[in-house]
Amino acid sequence: MGLLTNLKDSISRVTDGLFAADEPKRIGIYGPPNAGKTTLANRIARDWTGDAVGPESHIPHETRRARRKENVEIERNGRKVTIDIVDTPGVTTKVDYKEFLDHDMEKDDAIRRSREATEGVAEAMHWLREDVDGVIYVLDSTTDPFTQVNTMLIGIIESQDLPALILANKTDLPGSDVQQIANAFPQHETIPLSALEGENMDEVYTKIAEYFG
Amino acid sequence: MPHQCTTCGRTFPDGSKEMLSGCPDCGGNKFQFKPAGETIDADETTDAGETTDAGETTDAGETTDESAGSVTDTPDSESPRPDSQPPEAQTPNAQAQESKTPDAQKTDSEHIRDRTQEDIAQASARSDVVSPDELDQASRDVESDSPTGSDPDSSGDPEGPRPDIDDLRDELNEQFESIRIVSPGKYELNLMELYDRQEYIISLQEDGRYVIEMPDAWGISDE
Repeated sequence: MGLLTNLKDSISRVTDGLFAADEPKRIGIYGPPNAGKTTLANRIARDWTGDAVGPESHIPHETRRARRKENVEIERNGRKVTIDIVDTPGVTTKVDYKEFLDHDMEKDDAIRRSREATEGVAEAMHWLREDVDGVIYVLDSTTDPFTQVNTMLIGIIESQDLPALILANKTDLPGSDVQQIANAFPQHETIPLSALEGENMDEVYTKIAEYFG
Repeated sequence: MPHQCTTCGRTFPDGSKEMLSGCPDCGGNKFQFKPAGETIDADETTDAGETTDAGETTDAGETTDESAGSVTDTPDSESPRPDSQPPEAQTPNAQAQESKTPDAQKTDSEHIRDRTQEDIAQASARSDVVSPDELDQASRDVESDSPTGSDPDSSGDPEGPRPDIDDLRDELNEQFESIRIVSPGKYELNLMELYDRQEYIISLQEDGRYVIEMPDAWGISDE
């Protein structure tokens, strides 16, 4: 974190900006574990490329390595936006293998999964620092958004001046409370959706094109 | 002849006042006392106690000759008081140094011997300095002795690796505080540290080690 690093970042951002029209922007899908990030990434990828990004699971930390789906072309209102989708591991401050034991997992497997999840968080934070041009921040609208992780990540994103779209996912579930998320981050626009059911995806794509186009 | 001039040998009867101002013949002021009737015994005891007495009387610069446990020392001098004093009480010095019965001398010598030994030990403890070599040797002896001598250590062998792993874990946590390994499978992450660091963890090993990607100076690592 020296002067040289800051200089490097500045230069790389300027050069990135020069070629912005040609290169697709990397959009990182961030959020806490089990918010539905991979489900959203798969939804977007399937809708526009026909392929999936990665396996989905109700077990937390299913995604333990960032996965990238490149050249996803989203067409909205006669305008094409090409992005690279980066599905990142759920970010958390604590990883404990015991939470996996509840999902019929052997202890050794749970410990390994815990270790890989920790590596995934480190990788996600690295991507946020180095490799994303914008962020789709996915939250489970049935849970309290006022968490240390959410506050910290949103703060980092803001400090980087990255364009950010906040999605209140899982609106298909009974306990969903989109307004609570909107209240938590009033400085950002909050879009409700159900990635699993495909509800309100049109608005999501419109906003993606608007924010990252 | 209870009193005899040590210079000329003139004798004086007990209680004589002639010697109070020195020997009338030679002017000497050193006399030895020989109680009447104990002359022979005194000689015998003198022989017996001579070595001890001799050592002590030399402090006063006196000569003892063959005679006795009673050396009169009156250098400056009050002359002895033959009439009133028993042999033991002639002068303060004599009293302190020589007027001992054989038993008293014996016990005294034992005291002296004990004290001497104690003094030697204490003196060496106070004055001697242990050399570094001796210290190293002593510590090696303790280390080499302890595994065989103490059960806790031998029973601690199976647990030997554990402290090492814990130490390693602590060391890693200090070095890379962005991820704290609480226990196997349990981690605490400092997100800001992870974000701020240029390098990032690629993989954590089960033994607490980790692999990091070092940042390239100008972003060539993107390729």
